[in-house]
Amino acid sequence: MVFSVAYHFLHDRELAEEIAQDVFLSLHRNLGALESAAHAAHWLRKVAVQRSIDAARRRSRRPQVALDDVAEPGERPAPGDPLLGELLRKLIATLPEGQRMAMVLRYQEDLDPSEIAAVMGIPLGTVKSHIQRSLALLREKLARRGVGER
Amino acid sequence: MDWLEEELKSALSRKEPAGGFDERVLAAARRPKTVMLPRRWMAAAAALVVLAGAGQAYRWHRGQEARDQVMLAMRITGKKLSYVQTRIAGDRQ
Repeated sequence: MVFSVAYHFLHDRELAEEIAQDVFLSLHRNLGALESAAHAAHWLRKVAVQRSIDAARRRSRRPQVALDDVAEPGERPAPGDPLLGELLRKLIATLPEGQRMAMVLRYQEDLDPSEIAAVMGIPLGTVKSHIQRSLALLREKLARRGVGER
Repeated sequence: MDWLEEELKSALSRKEPAGGFDERVLAAARRPKTVMLPRRWMAAAAALVVLAGAGQAYRWHRGQEARDQVMLAMRITGKKLSYVQTRIAGDRQ
């Protein structure tokens, strides 16, 4: 869960592994403060989210992939096609950090918006708006690439 | 949940780190903790060392100056005393 959150957020396997290692070392140091498995899971998610956002901000000096830079696939991917999965991951990587993290927590971790708000430490309304905007943007980008409803 | 959300769930399915990750974390946890100072603290420490060194050098320089002044004053006084003694001796003769 920790590695995966960082990986989908940063799109960088090496950096994600570094963050995951760092998060587990922090867990090791803070074991005494954790009361239950649920508390530990919440703590891990929260720290993974914070470290990933910090890493993205440190990295932000380097050029990022812009939404319009994502290459058009040679063939139009259809729903269920592995190419569509890859295209979606690339499109998500171009979202602003708040929207991107909300999407990762919503669709990877299957958290509901109130849980996402608690993990990210932002208002519930902001989480809902992040998810709605991201979905609308993804639909628009996919429609432009000829990927539509089933 | 519509088709896009289903695709998102599938695209963002959990990924695992490279093999041996658990061992690497355990090895890192067993390693004695080394304190890594952030760069700005290291820069501040370096600036402090430079300032302390400069202060020491300045104090040494001021000490040398004071010593030279004392030596000069003693030489002048010595010459004057010698001159006075010579004059007194001349007067007596």
